[in-house]
Amino acid sequence: MIDVDVSQLTVILTISGAILLVAYLTAISAKDLIRLLISLELMFAAVFLAILPLFTISPATGYALAIITAFTSSTELLVLVTAIILLDRRKRGMGVEKVAVGGDSI
Amino acid sequence: MNIETVIIAVAGVFAVASSIGVLLTRDNFYAALYMSVTMIFVAAIYAAFNLQPVVVIIALIFVGAVGIVTIAIAATYRAKPSRQVSLAWTAPVVIVFGILAYAYYKFATQDLEITGQEVFPAVASDYFFVVVFLFSLVVLMMLSAIKLARRVDL
Repeated sequence: MIDVDVSQLTVILTISGAILLVAYLTAISAKDLIRLLISLELMFAAVFLAILPLFTISPATGYALAIITAFTSSTELLVLVTAIILLDRRKRGMGVEKVAVGGDSI
Repeated sequence: MNIETVIIAVAGVFAVASSIGVLLTRDNFYAALYMSVTMIFVAAIYAAFNLQPVVVIIALIFVGAVGIVTIAIAATYRAKPSRQVSLAWTAPVVIVFGILAYAYYKFATQDLEITGQEVFPAVASDYFFVVVFLFSLVVLMMLSAIKLARRVDL
């Protein structure tokens, strides 16, 4: 079990929020799937920081969540690599504008 | 504010700065590199709290596997032409490499104390079902991906 004081907790959660915000901005400004993949992994980095205070309460739960987060990110990488390969085969490109369906119209 | 908080804050500032680099750079290859640097600084924050198993997870899986695969994909599908290596960067790279080599040499000559040797053997017993279920998830996802890839017409 680790000791985290209030100032350290503030710094950690602020950094986590800042990385998550940058990841969201990267995701909404992404023009291809590779940039989208990178932004999602940045979001996982922010999640990794956000679960750090859990180690002060229950280290075993923290370790389990860290393992689950790592495996989830690996699975997400697998899915997006498949999506990149499939989009390249069908549309001959990586751009998200090549996807004609999905989302909502305003 | 103690020294630990300062170290965490400095590592965090570098992590946020490198994540902003992901947002600002136009080249996906450099964006993937900045992303890996962000993960390394996140691991550094865990190292400041002496949570070494999580540092190993981040370094091996996030940076070593996920990051490298992302960099390889970004380099493969690179739209912009590759830049030439600037000779101006050679000197700082050599200096940093020399400092790191000297530091490793100094650590290698000192006695190393290994602590927490029971941590890694305990992973197989304490987190057995978590690891089994997650491996099953990865295998299922791989089979689904292969099935999807076979359906697509070339």
